[in-house]
Amino acid sequence: MKPPLPAERDAADLRAEAAFMDWVRQLVKGTTELQALAAGQIDAIMDPVTCSAVLLPEARAAVLARVSRSKARSGNDSGKAHAGRIAAPHRGGANRLLASLPAGEYARLLRGLEPVQLVHGEVLHEPGQEMQHIYFPTGCLVSLLMVVDDHRSLEVALVGREGMIGARAVFGLTLSPVRALVQGTGAALRIKPARFLRQFRGNPSLQRALFGFADALMNQISQTAACNHFHLVQQRLARWLLMTRERMSSSQFHLTQEFLADMLGVRRVSVTTAANALQQQKLIRYKRGNITILDQRGLEAACCSCYRHLRLTADLSAGRA
Amino acid sequence: MAARRPDVARKRTRTSPARAPVTTVVTLRLYVAGKAPNSVKAIANLQAICRQYLKDEYRLEIVDVCEHPRRALDDGIVVTPTLAKVSPGPGANVIGNLSDTGSVLAALGLQADEQQ
Repeated sequence: MKPPLPAERDAADLRAEAAFMDWVRQLVKGTTELQALAAGQIDAIMDPVTCSAVLLPEARAAVLARVSRSKARSGNDSGKAHAGRIAAPHRGGANRLLASLPAGEYARLLRGLEPVQLVHGEVLHEPGQEMQHIYFPTGCLVSLLMVVDDHRSLEVALVGREGMIGARAVFGLTLSPVRALVQGTGAALRIKPARFLRQFRGNPSLQRALFGFADALMNQISQTAACNHFHLVQQRLARWLLMTRERMSSSQFHLTQEFLADMLGVRRVSVTTAANALQQQKLIRYKRGNITILDQRGLEAACCSCYRHLRLTADLSAGRA
Repeated sequence: MAARRPDVARKRTRTSPARAPVTTVVTLRLYVAGKAPNSVKAIANLQAICRQYLKDEYRLEIVDVCEHPRRALDDGIVVTPTLAKVSPGPGANVIGNLSDTGSVLAALGLQADEQQ
């Protein structure tokens, strides 16, 4: 595959940086916080969506340098403990697909994996665009959207820690058929498709894990297509909230009605009606874009059979992997 | 009738005694992000300030937000390092690496000349 030109990479980095700063500005609004941020006195920002602390680039670089120094000093117990704690999000343990690999095979793959922070609203690739990286979410959540008529979009799958984005690269296909949109801010590991393909060919465990995930993803897309056609918006919204909860490991998230309407492929007013109905049943609380799932069991009962079916098929696929 | 209630509440607040005894132990909570540079500086700066100005009259809890993010979010923390004065009231927050001793002392309700 043709490597990306340096100018393309720079533009992508700038876009990612701009998106990150947008995200920072959304969360940090107080004058004193902004002053401290401008003075370079801030290390981390709390992300309520992923319920995690997100280190700013300078702090991250300093921590990783410190970890490297600790690792270099053999026999330093406190250094080892610290390295383990800081490096944990990068070991892939949070991504179930990577976590299923034997240690040796994972170590080989690790050399090409790069930790990144993805922010809400960031587009990883557009339909028809060449995929620059394959992503393994470790804390973020990514929606795969089918775009029709150049502007209308509909979510066809939701990928979190259980999977990856860009699995079709193993078939030698590098053009994305969908828009991959970051829905939940959080960490991920990424790798160049060509490098991943080389690893994939000589790694049977990775092949099994990926085929299992590809099967689950195909099931999810098929089930979503049928669900979008046959089921009520309220049932689909309930299913979507439960799937998001599972993948984010959190019962609270911030989502605008406009965003939800895009995900479900309906008008905003339909989302309002459906959300109000779920709220009246005390299953969720929805205020100014902040959604809290109050009653998980109740929400499961309120959603269509697709949710149970998807869970079952995902478990079966994972069992095969 | 209902419109008067807020006025009554406001009057009560104004007249209530707010001064804490001088000997009260100051309880502080410092939210840091592991061993990140500003967090390390904030711990060192705060410990120096406490030793100099509060002697043994303080209790300091350090919360690592990388390990306890839920707690930090529940406490309304947005960025780290953040120093929170828990008690005595009124509560106050100081953001940053606490290199500005004056603002830390102001938040603690102390003056630089109160030392020793």
